[in-house]
Formats: sequence, C-alpha cells, structure tokens
Amino acid sequence: MKKKTDPLLEQEKTRIKEEWDSAYDYDPRDPLFSLSQSEMSGPTLSRRSVLRLMAAAGTLTVAHLLPGVGMGSAQAAAKKGGVLNAGWAGVGELRTLDPAQINQVLLFQVASNVLSGLMHIDAQLVARGDLALDWTVSADGTEYVFALREGVTFHNGDKFTADDVVFTYNRSKDPQKSIHSRVVSNIIDASAVDDYHVKLKLEKPQASLLGKTLERSAGRAMTIVSSGALESMGLQQYGLTPVGTGPFRVTAHTMGQQLVLEKFDNYYDPDRPKLDKITIQPIIDAEPLAGAMEAGDIQIIGGNPVAPELVDRFESNPDLVVDIVPAPGFQSVWINPWRDPFKVSNFDKPIDELKKDKGFKVRLALAKAIDRDRYIHQAQFGRGVPAYGTINPAMGFFFDDSLGDRSEQRFDLEEARQLLADAGYPNGEGFPKLEIKCTPSARREVQVIKNILKTNLNVDIGVRTMDFPVLIDDFRTMNWDLLRIGSGGDYDPDDGVVDWMQTSSKFNGRDRDKAKMPFGTFSDKEVDALVDAQRFETDPDKRKAMVQKANLLTSDKVACAFIFHPVDVLVHHKSVNFPKESRIPGLMDMDRVTIS
Amino acid sequence: MSRYLLKRIFGALIVMWAVATLVFFMLRAVPGDPLAAMLFDVGDPEAAEVLRVKYGLDKPVYVQYGKWLSRVLQGDLGNSIYGSRISVLRIVSEALPRTLSLAGLSFVIALSIAVPAGLISAIKRHSSLDHAVTFVAFLGLSMPDFWLGILLIIVFAANLHWLPAIGYAPLSEGFWPWFSHLILPSIAVGTAFSAIVARMIRSSMLEVLSADYINVARSKGLHERRLVLVHAFPNALIPVITVIGIAFALLMAGAVVVENVFAIKGLGRVLIQGILNRDYPVVQGAILVVSAIFVFSNLLVDVLYTVVDPRIRYD
Repeated sequence: MKKKTDPLLEQEKTRIKEEWDSAYDYDPRDPLFSLSQSEMSGPTLSRRSVLRLMAAAGTLTVAHLLPGVGMGSAQAAAKKGGVLNAGWAGVGELRTLDPAQINQVLLFQVASNVLSGLMHIDAQLVARGDLALDWTVSADGTEYVFALREGVTFHNGDKFTADDVVFTYNRSKDPQKSIHSRVVSNIIDASAVDDYHVKLKLEKPQASLLGKTLERSAGRAMTIVSSGALESMGLQQYGLTPVGTGPFRVTAHTMGQQLVLEKFDNYYDPDRPKLDKITIQPIIDAEPLAGAMEAGDIQIIGGNPVAPELVDRFESNPDLVVDIVPAPGFQSVWINPWRDPFKVSNFDKPIDELKKDKGFKVRLALAKAIDRDRYIHQAQFGRGVPAYGTINPAMGFFFDDSLGDRSEQRFDLEEARQLLADAGYPNGEGFPKLEIKCTPSARREVQVIKNILKTNLNVDIGVRTMDFPVLIDDFRTMNWDLLRIGSGGDYDPDDGVVDWMQTSSKFNGRDRDKAKMPFGTFSDKEVDALVDAQRFETDPDKRKAMVQKANLLTSDKVACAFIFHPVDVLVHHKSVNFPKESRIPGLMDMDRVTIS
Repeated sequence: MSRYLLKRIFGALIVMWAVATLVFFMLRAVPGDPLAAMLFDVGDPEAAEVLRVKYGLDKPVYVQYGKWLSRVLQGDLGNSIYGSRISVLRIVSEALPRTLSLAGLSFVIALSIAVPAGLISAIKRHSSLDHAVTFVAFLGLSMPDFWLGILLIIVFAANLHWLPAIGYAPLSEGFWPWFSHLILPSIAVGTAFSAIVARMIRSSMLEVLSADYINVARSKGLHERRLVLVHAFPNALIPVITVIGIAFALLMAGAVVVENVFAIKGLGRVLIQGILNRDYPVVQGAILVVSAIFVFSNLLVDVLYTVVDPRIRYD
C-alpha cells in the first residue's frame, strides 16, 4: 500500500531546502557574502541575511531551520510578576559573572539575563539590535558603524554611551584582563564617533561578527560592561554582582548559596522582563535537585545537564514539564595508540592494510563489541543517539544517519570476537588487565562499558576515577590505556573534526612527549587534508561530502570508540511558561518567562 | 592557670602553622594543574600561562610559600584563583556561620537525645528500655548521614511539604526560616553523634554508679534522682566531654556530605570544592581555619574539665 505523504511535512521539507540553498548561495570572495550593504545594515537583519551569515561563518545547521525552532509562538497576554526559584544543576557555586572571565555555559546562562550586547539573535533567527539600534557596513565589509540606543542606563544609573563599547573592547583585547582576547582579534580598532555612535574597524570581513562576536549571548568578549561600576566596585565584587543593562539586575549574591536577580525597572524594553524576581541556587547533587523540584523549592532547572536517572522521575510527575531536544556533542572511549595491546603507530594506511595490524585488530574489536543501544539503555536510561563519529544529529545537514550501518565500528559481536582471537586473545584469554580513566561523575556509565566488554569479549577492564584536573593532565600527556571523555556544544563540523580529529587538534595529546609519540590520539593525512579543505569550502554539498568522508575515516580507523550523542533536557514546573522563543540552545533567557 | 593557657595557645599556633605548611606543600605535590583544567574548554594554552604568571604560580614553591606565609601573618589569606578572585577570608567568613549553625543545632539535637537516652540506659541497665535505646543507638551509628539526609528530604520536603529541601537562611531573616532550613540536615548529622554520646554516657555512668560513694549515698537514703543527677552524672562527664569536644570539631569541618545534600555552602564544602578545583589559596585558608577549630576545641575541652571537676587544676 502506497504511503500517504503529509502535505504539511512536504511543505516543511521544501522550505528547509530552499532556506538552506539560499543561505549557501553566495560568492566567498564577496566581503559582504553576496548581501547588499542595506541587507547587512540595521536596524534588523532579516532571517535570510542571518542564515547567510551563519552559513558563511560555518555555524549554520539544519537544526536552526527545523519547524518549531525559530518559529516563536506569539505570546498571549501573560501575567506579569512573580518570583521564580531556579536550581542550577551540577555546580557548587557561580564563581564569576564577569564576561571577561566566564569559561562555562552555566555561568553565561545567568550573565545573559544581566548584561547586554550590541546584537541579539532571537529564536526566530532574526538578528536584532540589543544595544545597537541600527548599523551600517562599508562596501569592503571591514568597517561597521553602530547607532546605539539612547536613554539606556546601567543598573547603577550610569548612562550607556559609545565609550562603554570602546571600554569593553579595550578590556577584552587585553589577555591580562580577559580570557577571550582571541575572539576580538579581527577587530583592529573601536572608536566612539560621538556619544551614541561607535565604529568598529576589522582586519578582514568577518561573517560571524554580527551573529557571534557582538551577540550578547555567544559573544562574551563584547558583552557590554560598565566601566564606572568596575572602577567603583572593583573586579572581585563586579564578578559577583555585575552591573549591566540587561532585563535583570543582581541584588544579592552569596557565592555557593544563592544569587538573586530582580527586575530592572528601567530596562529599555518596557514589556520585559515579566518576572519580578529570580533566585538561583547551585545544587551540586542529583538527588537533592530532584527533592527540591518535587518539594517546590525550585520551579526550573538550569546549569549543567539534568542527570539522566532523574528524567523518568520528572516525566512521571504530573506537575512538571520535561522538554527534550537533540544536543550537540559526542561521548567516547579513547584508546591509546601508543600502548599495548592496541598499539598503532601509523594510521596512514588503507583500512584493509590496517586490519592486518595486531594492535588495530584489538582497537576495532573493542569498538565493535560495544553494544551502543544497550549502553544507552543502561547508562543513559534510554536517552541518547548511538554515535559512530564526531558529527552529531544537531549538525543536521552534515549528519550521516547511515554511518551506523556502514562504519567498521558498528556493533558485530561475532566479528569482534574473531578480531580479538586473530590478535592472539581468543575469548579474551591472555588479554592484559587494563584501566579506563574517567571522572567520578562518569563512573556509572563506565561501569556499564566495562560490563559490556566483559560479557562480550571476556576482557577485564579496571575503572579508575580521578578528579577532572588530574584526568585532563593525563589526557594531554597520553598517560592512559583507555579514557572516557567527550565534547559538547558542537553545532558545527569544525567543533568536532577540527578540535579532535586532526593531527594538530588542540585536544590531540598536546602535552605528550613528541619524541616518543609523533602524534597523540590519532593521525591520518587524508583526514587532515579533508578537514582543512572543508573549512574553506563554500559549496555545501562538497563540504558535506568532505565532512562525511573524514567522519567515516575516523570512524573506520577507530580514532576512538564513539559511544553516543546526548540530549538536552529542560525541566520546569507546569506553572512556569517558558516560551519557545526563549528556548535557545544552551541558554536560559528568562526575560519572557512568566508564572501562571 | 594563666600560664597553662598561654602555653597551650602558643602550642596551638605551632600546630596550626605545621598543618598549614604541610598542606601547602602537599597541595602542590598533588597532580593536576588548576589553570589548565579551568581553561580546558577555552583551549588557549597562552591564556593559562598568562594567569600562571599573574597568580605567581610560575615561581618556585619555596618563594610561593614565603609570600603566602608573610601575607597570612598580616591577616591576608589570599584570593581564590578562580573566577573573580574573591578573597579567601570572605569565602571562609561567609561559610563559617552556616557551619556553626549546622554544627550548633546538630549538637543541641544530639545532646537532647543522647543525655536522657544514655542516663535511662544506664539506670535501667539490662531492661527492655536499655535494649531499645541500644538498638536505636546502633541504628543511628549505622545509617550514613547522607542517606538519612536524602530520606528526610523525600519524606518531609518532597512528600509532606513540611520543610524546605535545600538551602540556608541566615538568622537575620527570622528564626523560623533559619530553623526550618537547618532542622533536616541537623537531624542527619546529629543522629550518629547522638548515638556515640549516648553510648559514652551509658558506659561512663555505669562505672560511676558502681562506685563506693554512690552506694554510701544510696544507703543513707538519698533520693535516686538527686543521686544520679547531682552526684553521679557530673563525675561521669569527663570522658563524655572529651568525645563531645572531638565530635564538635569534626562536625565543624566534616559535614561536607550533608552540606552537599542540602546545598549549604559551609566550611566542609568550601574545602572539598577547593581541593577538587585545586584552588590552592582557598584550601590553604580553609585548612588554617579548620585546624584552629580543632586545636581550640581541644583547649576548651581541657578548660571545661576544671569546671566539671574542681579537683583538676593546671599549673
């Protein structure tokens, strides 16, 4: 029987394809990315322009184009006021809210409610001025002039002017004052034309300037700080109770105990924020977090991901709402190519040649013996997507959902056992006792992997937990047999393949003894070349082909044993209205949140 | 007595210095680079080196020690190397009242249970009441405090909604907010403590109650209640005070698991977070405070002996 096609679904697919093709339809030599000056200028950037710039910057994913994402529903007249109590999961304290020092997303989730940027991309993927009212861009794409909102004040009453933008830039470019100095390295000058106009001069055209560098959430480096408050409060106090121009102001912060945000009455948008007050408590352990939610002490969870063992419990609670979306990232078990019995000193061979290598047989046997579905069921309580490479479902267009059927790493118990036997360890006999290192929080998951390998291959793997600083030291110096680590926040292929899979990648055994180990975790010339080439490829289909080929190679050659791609879980009480337009991945913008 | 106190105080300071010095060097011997871990996601090795020079962590260890010690002698415990570099003195002084509150209320709850239980158990030795008290005491000793804490949260907060599950409210916000936030963690912490003290009181009382002077007093017709409370109990207190002193000091520094369960940032949690983050100044400062609590608790116990037993005098 012929399957009926859903006309609405077909319409959506057509829309996605059209938007995608339009986004990539530009000449890479054009400093304005085939947009006109008026299209690049303010007071808003259309969705089409934003998608183009994201494509040019390499940050566009199909996830951005999916139905429901970016299609913010019009809010009915919601009740204003009220106090929202939030728990920030998996963290003991909010160490700093100074954007120049923020190194964790959970900190920026808070700062984004207190501080503003020049731009803000909303969930409808329209880039609006935040503190910028309008802007123009020069024909060569290297000069931007922003007209700033007038009448904006900081929480301490100081007027916001162009001098504050210049001050923020000068502070951010100084590595002594900011850990994000590299982010603004392409901006060579910032100057105040007058009180409400500021000019930024770039070294070269930059597609990600408006959407990322100057964006209030993603930017950090150009999140506007108050020079007056910094001077009067000092660095320490400013980090605890920053003064910004955002919808909420910090009225109290006892580090490790509670942070209080209150509505800023003089916010430039009189309709926001809706809430009167937000209290945020860091709650490091899972069970107290659940207890606090069920007791009604908190009504929403932010911060680190919710522990997977709690999700079922929250979903079964009729008073709670659980919203799950794909999260960008991958998790894996790394296999040290410089240690027996899985030593491989040269990956630069065709796969058939590699398979003759005893060390490679063991690597492949281990990777093939991991039943990912079973792992996800037992370790992640059924929530996750089996992974065979760094390219994750959130990367949409680049994700290859057939990889699981084609990869050499696909689960195949008979083949895994045969490989191990061919390597000289039939039924695991004589296999050396090895160790897998992980953080204490990953112990349970690693125990599942250990059990799977014992059951499937009869190999004994010891589990060794260590603090994160020690694990990182060992990881970078290649002092491990097996190691459990992964990556998050990966929306673009570069976040996966560039950061992890190239010989020169920043996470590829950076501090190893290079005389003994010419490469760290993995090295393949073809992968290096493909990854380099895809960074500058503007034809989306060609880029996709390169990315998927590189991904397949890293998978087949077992750069690591890929395990799963995680999901993002938002939990809140049913009385909390968290509009879709606020559901921006990684953020907890609460200016539109209301309580029934 | 004054000479004795001065000697003890001087000794206490030496102990504190020795502990702090040992911890200083041990911390730097422990593997794990705090800055590299802090900036792992940033992925910029230069950023870590800039901070290393800024915080003086590139200097030889003995130079770092000399600078730290000279600052401590001036009352400056340094600044956290994380985030906004809050002063250690501020971090510790914010944590101390919470720990004091938790330890103090745990102490009161524990003694309220332990003293009558221990006395009853001793007076009604081998009776069913004694067996019941003994059973409950061992139950209290066997239950991990974090498990009891989670159980209390599930019952009294999540299900009955009688008390808050987590957090801390200072006394300045009112007695009930302060008390309601502390009662569950205090019960969790105090249960094992009360079991130990109850058993100690029982054992000490049994020894005193079999003394000759008690038999004489009983045969002279002294009322049993007066006999126990006025003549026996004070003499049974010496070993009990020792246990209470040590237990209180442990409570001050060691309730870290319960502090985590109830999201209370006390001294224990400051210490553990500092160790996990390799935040050297915070750990050094917190250890200094904890060692001060231990040595001065012991001193207080010794002074209390002289109050309880006038025969004890120090020269």
